[in-house]
Amino acid sequence: MSLDTILKKLSVRSPWLFRINAGSCNGCDVELATTACIPRYDVERFGCRYCGSPRHADIVLITGPLTTKVCDRVLRVWHDIPEPKVTVAVGICPISGGVFREGYSIKGPIDRYIPVDVNVPGCPPRPQAILESVVLARSIWLKKLGLEA
Amino acid sequence: MAGFLKILFRNLLDGPSTDPYPFGKTFSPESIRGKVKLDPDLCMGCGMCVYSCTAKAINISPLDDGSGYTYTVWRNSCCLCASCRHYCPMGAISIVDDWHLAHDEESKYGLVEHHTIKYEPCANCGAMMRPIPPALAKHLYAQSKDVDPEKIRHLCPKCRQLEDAGNLAKAQTSDAQPAK
Repeated sequence: MSLDTILKKLSVRSPWLFRINAGSCNGCDVELATTACIPRYDVERFGCRYCGSPRHADIVLITGPLTTKVCDRVLRVWHDIPEPKVTVAVGICPISGGVFREGYSIKGPIDRYIPVDVNVPGCPPRPQAILESVVLARSIWLKKLGLEA
Repeated sequence: MAGFLKILFRNLLDGPSTDPYPFGKTFSPESIRGKVKLDPDLCMGCGMCVYSCTAKAINISPLDDGSGYTYTVWRNSCCLCASCRHYCPMGAISIVDDWHLAHDEESKYGLVEHHTIKYEPCANCGAMMRPIPPALAKHLYAQSKDVDPEKIRHLCPKCRQLEDAGNLAKAQTSDAQPAK
């Protein structure tokens, strides 16, 4: 067994999360904080953890409709995340633009710029729905790693 | 110190407070807004929901052959403000508590509430129209006993107006006769 596969097998227990706010109203960010901080939801039991640096992340959760001002920065941060990464669009804003769609300062929906893997609609989505999407993202991530069919 | 011990023992007895979801059951409050549902029997296609929708998630478009219309709600744009439910004059829209909506990118545009609603010909003139729902017809004609709501609900607005005017004239003449 090569070192590469050993490292892969060790890392699958802890897909780290990274959170990008692409001009969100903070509603979805509060729900993301809820999943991490409130023991009832507790995203850390899947081995997930919010990390401070995009270079440590495996799953990236994007909130907000991608405003013109923040677009370049979001793309820069997103490209810093090492492959394989899984992108999760949290809330209706990154998925379709939501209530901000076709606004003068909106560049989204986010899949015009970034390949999205998982969508979780809601305004904001329930913490449980976000947990559902993290579990779905984890299985996609395992597929991308080549560890699960 | 004693207070802290009390909390410690209570926590030991109660067990973990973490919800086992998504590997176990979770709770849904009754009033939670999960997704929009339309009752196609009640919808008249007035378009009030399209007008009031904050996120432009609802689309009503006529069929090419004019035999009805399609009603579509795109869940990925719906912000669950419930304006459609509030303003729907027929009460056709409800918001159910099913919030399991996380999905992969392939099914992004498939996440819709879609109905094809057909018109029916007017029983009198044959113009295409939506019949009034039976419950509403019964409610509207509760006062006039000689009108059959089942019959009048299949008339188009114009024919219904004529029918109502005729009925009213008949009632007035029958009222006037005993006074003589």
